[in-house]
Amino acid sequence: MAVAQGVRPTGQGAWVPQATSRRSRFIDGWRRFSRHKLAVLGLFIVGAWIVCGLFAPWIAPYSYRENNLAVSQQLPSAEHWLGTDRLGRDQLSRLIWAARTALIVAPFAVTVSFALGLIFGSLAGYLGGWVEGIIMRVADVLLAFPGLLFALLLSVTLKPRLVSMMEASSVLKDLVRSGYAELIIVILALSVVGWPGLARLVRAQVLSSKNSLYIEAARASGVNTWRVIRQHILPNILAPIIVVLSMSLGGAVVAESGLSFLGLGVEPPIPSWGNMIYENASNGLWRTANAPYLVWAPGAIVSLLVFAFSFIGDGLNEALNPQIGEGSR
Amino acid sequence: MGTLLDVKNLNTRFYTQDGVVNAVNDVSFTLDEGETLAVVGESGSGKSVTMLSVMRLIASPPGRITSGEIMFDGRDLLKLDDDEIRQIRGNRIAMIFQDPMTSLNPVLTINQQISEVLQLHLGMDKAAAKRRAIELLEKVNIPEAARRVDDYPHQFSGGMRQRVMIAMMLAANPQLLIADEPTTALDVTISAQILDLVKRLKKEVGMAVIWITHDLGVVAGMADRVIVMYAGRIVEQAPVGELYASPRHPYALGLLKSIPRLDEIRKEKLEPIEGLPPDLINYPTGCPFAPRCPYAIQKCLEERPPLAPTTSTKHLSACWRWQDVKR
Amino acid sequence: MTAQIIRRLLWLPFLLIILTIITLALAYYGPGDPVQVMLGPRAPKEAAEALRQQLGLNDPFPVYVVKYISKALQGDLGESYKYRGQPVGPLIWERLGVSAQLNLAALLIGTVIGIFLGTVAGLFRNSWVDYGIISTVVLLDSIPTFAITLPLLFLFAVRWRILPPGGWQGLLDIRAILPIAILSLGPMTVFARQTRANLLEVIGQDYIRTARSKGLPESMVITSHALRNSLIPLTTLFGLALGGSLIGGSFFMETLLGIPGIGRLAFETFLARDYPVITALVILTAATIAIANLVVDVAYAYIDPRIRAT
Repeated sequence: MAVAQGVRPTGQGAWVPQATSRRSRFIDGWRRFSRHKLAVLGLFIVGAWIVCGLFAPWIAPYSYRENNLAVSQQLPSAEHWLGTDRLGRDQLSRLIWAARTALIVAPFAVTVSFALGLIFGSLAGYLGGWVEGIIMRVADVLLAFPGLLFALLLSVTLKPRLVSMMEASSVLKDLVRSGYAELIIVILALSVVGWPGLARLVRAQVLSSKNSLYIEAARASGVNTWRVIRQHILPNILAPIIVVLSMSLGGAVVAESGLSFLGLGVEPPIPSWGNMIYENASNGLWRTANAPYLVWAPGAIVSLLVFAFSFIGDGLNEALNPQIGEGSR
Repeated sequence: MGTLLDVKNLNTRFYTQDGVVNAVNDVSFTLDEGETLAVVGESGSGKSVTMLSVMRLIASPPGRITSGEIMFDGRDLLKLDDDEIRQIRGNRIAMIFQDPMTSLNPVLTINQQISEVLQLHLGMDKAAAKRRAIELLEKVNIPEAARRVDDYPHQFSGGMRQRVMIAMMLAANPQLLIADEPTTALDVTISAQILDLVKRLKKEVGMAVIWITHDLGVVAGMADRVIVMYAGRIVEQAPVGELYASPRHPYALGLLKSIPRLDEIRKEKLEPIEGLPPDLINYPTGCPFAPRCPYAIQKCLEERPPLAPTTSTKHLSACWRWQDVKR
Repeated sequence: MTAQIIRRLLWLPFLLIILTIITLALAYYGPGDPVQVMLGPRAPKEAAEALRQQLGLNDPFPVYVVKYISKALQGDLGESYKYRGQPVGPLIWERLGVSAQLNLAALLIGTVIGIFLGTVAGLFRNSWVDYGIISTVVLLDSIPTFAITLPLLFLFAVRWRILPPGGWQGLLDIRAILPIAILSLGPMTVFARQTRANLLEVIGQDYIRTARSKGLPESMVITSHALRNSLIPLTTLFGLALGGSLIGGSFFMETLLGIPGIGRLAFETFLARDYPVITALVILTAATIAIANLVVDVAYAYIDPRIRAT
C-alpha cells in the first residue's frame, strides 16, 4: 500500500468506471441518495415535521390557544414537558401546532413560486424573443428588491386590504375569524418574492438543454417537439430544479418564522415558531425564570428543518446527477 | 542499447462503489533506450491506466497499484517515496495527454507553465527559464515564440496547445516521453503535424517514446514495437512489421481488419468486432476476449491463455490458437 | 462584454424608476393614514388637511410620483413620519454608517475564516476533518439570525456575564463583538462551502494532473495551480457581499441587540408605516445591489483571462 500513497486523485482524466447497472433509475437514485447519511437523517426530520403538522390536534397534549392562568409560567414538569408561558399555555403543544402553521405556509409558498417560475421560465427559455424580454425584465425588477424587505412591504401594505376583502366574502369570513387568513398573505408575499429567481434558473436550464447535443440528436432523428420537451428537456432541467426546491422549502420556513417574529406574519394566538420566540423573549420570562429554552427551542426547530432540507438537497443532487456526485463527498 | 523501462506483473485496481475494478492485470513489458513503443487498445483496455501507474499518477483513492515492479533506469519506481518520484516526473519521464484544451492551466501564462519545469528540475532562474521557454516554443514550431510566450492557453488553437504541452514536457530533456493519445482530440492534418513533430524531436533528443492510441493506423509509421491491450491485459506484443503482416491474436487481427486502407483496392469489407468488452469487476476466468472471438473453443472459456512466445521470442500472444490466427 | 456592460448601464435608470413607482404605489395606496400617525388622532381637521396637502397626498398618483422623483433627484427624499422634522436622507445616512461598519468587519472576518476552512476541508476531503468542518458550517448557517441572537445574548450577557447586553459604542467597543460574530456566520459558511466546492472541482481538472506530471511538489500544485484557480470565482461572491454589506442591516440582530443601524430603522419604520423612509430604503438597497452586480461582473472580467478575451 505504500506504493500509491501520497498520490492524490487525478480526476476524470484517467479512467472512469462505467455504471454497469441496468437497475431502474429510481432505485439507482435512491441508492445514491441513501449513501448520504445526513440526507437520510434530513428525511426523518422533515417526516417528523409533516406528521406533527398534519396530526397536531391529536399529538399535542393541550390546546394551543387556551389560557390557563392557574398554571402560568411553569417550569417543565410531567404535565407540561416544556413548561408553560405567561398565559399558562403549554409550550410543547404550541410548538407542535406551529409545525402546522409552517406546513401550510412553506409548501404553498414554494409551490406557487415554483409554478410561476416554471411557467414563466420555460416560456422565456423556449419561446425567446419579446416574450422572454418582458418576462425576464419583470423578473429583474422583482429580483432587485431586497427579498425580506419586499415581503415585509407587501405584508404591511396589502394585509389590511386583503383581510377586509376576505371578510366581505361569506366563504372566507370564517377563515379570517380562525386567524389563518394571515397565512395567505404570508404565502402571497413569499411567492411574489420567490418566483423570479426560479424563472431565471429554469430559463437557463431550458436554454442550455435546448442547444445541447442530445436534443439536436433527438430532433435530427425525427422525434416530435412535444416528445423532445417531455422526454429530453424536462428530465434534464428537473434535476437542478428539484434540488433548489428542497433548499427553498427550508428558506420558506425561515421566512415565515422571520415575518411572524417581526409581527408581520402569523399573529398570536396562532402559534408560529417565529412569533413564539418573539412572545417569549419580549415578556422577559426566559431571563428571569431561567428558562432560555422558551426562546431557543422554536429557533432550534427552525434551524433543524433548514439543516434537514439543505442536506436533502445535497442528497438529491447526488441522486440526480451521478456524474457530479461521485467522489465529491 | 540497454533496457530503460522494465514493467513486471503490474496490477492496478480501482475500489469503487460497485466493486473492485481490475483495470490493469499482470502487465509486463520492457522498453529499450530510444525505442518507440505503441500501446494499442480500445477505451477501457487499461492502456492509459498502465502508463499513469508508471508515472504513479493513479488517483488514490479509488485507485491503487496492488502489485508489480516498475524498474526505470535500475530503480523500482514503486519503491520511491513521494519526493523521489517527483524528481522523475517531468524530468526523466514526461507525459502528454489527450485533451490539450483542458491540460493547460487557463489562468497561468505559457511562460509560467513552462518555466515552472525549468526552475524545478534544472534550477534555472526566472530570466533564464523564460529564454529557454522561448527556445523550446521555437523548437516545437510556435511562430513568434518570443511574443506569444506571455499569452494564456485560451489564445492558442488546439494543435498549438498540444505543441505547448510537448515543449513543456521536453523542457527537462526526459529519457522517456509517454504520449497518451495526444492526437485523438485534434483534426487529421493537425494530428499528422504533431506526429511528425514528436518523431523529429525524438530523433534530436534521443528519448524513448510510449505512444498510447486506439488507432493502429497511427502506429505503423512511427513505432518499433506494438503492444495490444484488451481488458487490462497485454494480449499481443510484436515488432510493428510482424504485427501488421501476421497478427497472432484474434483481437489484434480484428483491430487490423477494422482499419480502412486507402492504399489498396478493397477486397474485403471492413469488419467491426462484434460485442462489448468484458465487465472488469466480475473478471472472466477464461480468456477475456473469448465471448467475442470467432476462434474461441471450450478451453478459452475455462482457462486463461498466458502471454507466450509464438513464431519468435519477440512475438508474444495470449491465445491458445495463435497458430490458427491468419490474416 | 463591453456591449453588455453598456446595455446594463442603460437599463439601470429604468430599473430604478420602475422600482420607485412600485414602492410608491404600495405606499400611496397602502393602508394607514400617515397624517394621523404624525399629528395624533385628535388633531384639528384643518391642520391635518394642510399637512396632507403639504405631503402631496392629495395629488393624483402620477403627479405624486413625478414630484417624488424630481425632488429625489435634488437630494430631497422627504421627511420621516415617525421622526418628525427629520429629513430622510441624513436619517438613513447616520444609521447606514453603523450597519456598514459592522457588516464590513463581519464580512472580512467571515471571508477569511471561510476560505481557510473551505481550503482545509477541500484538501482533506472525505476525511473526518472535512465532514466536521462542513457539517458544523452548514449547521451554523441553518440557524436563522432571529433564532441565534437571543440564545447567544443569554449565554454571554446573562449567564456568563462576559459581554454587556447589547448597545452600541462604536466598532472598537466590546459591544461590537457579538453582532460581528453573528453577522460573520453567513459569509463564513458561504465562503467555506464555495471554496471547498471550487477546490474539488479544480483538483479534478486535467491541468492539475499535468502539474503533477511535471513533478511539482503537492504544495506547489495546490498553491500555484489549484488554489489560485478556485479562488478566482470567489471574487464575484465577495463583490456581491461587499455591495450588500454597505447597505443592508440585519433586522433581527440590530433590533434585538439595540444597535442603531439601518436594519433597526427599517423595522421601526415598517411598524410605523413611515413610507418616506421605507421607500428610500427599498430604492437605495435595490440600487446598491444592482450597481454591485455590475461592478463585480466588470471586475471579474479583468481577473479571469478567459472572460477578458470574449
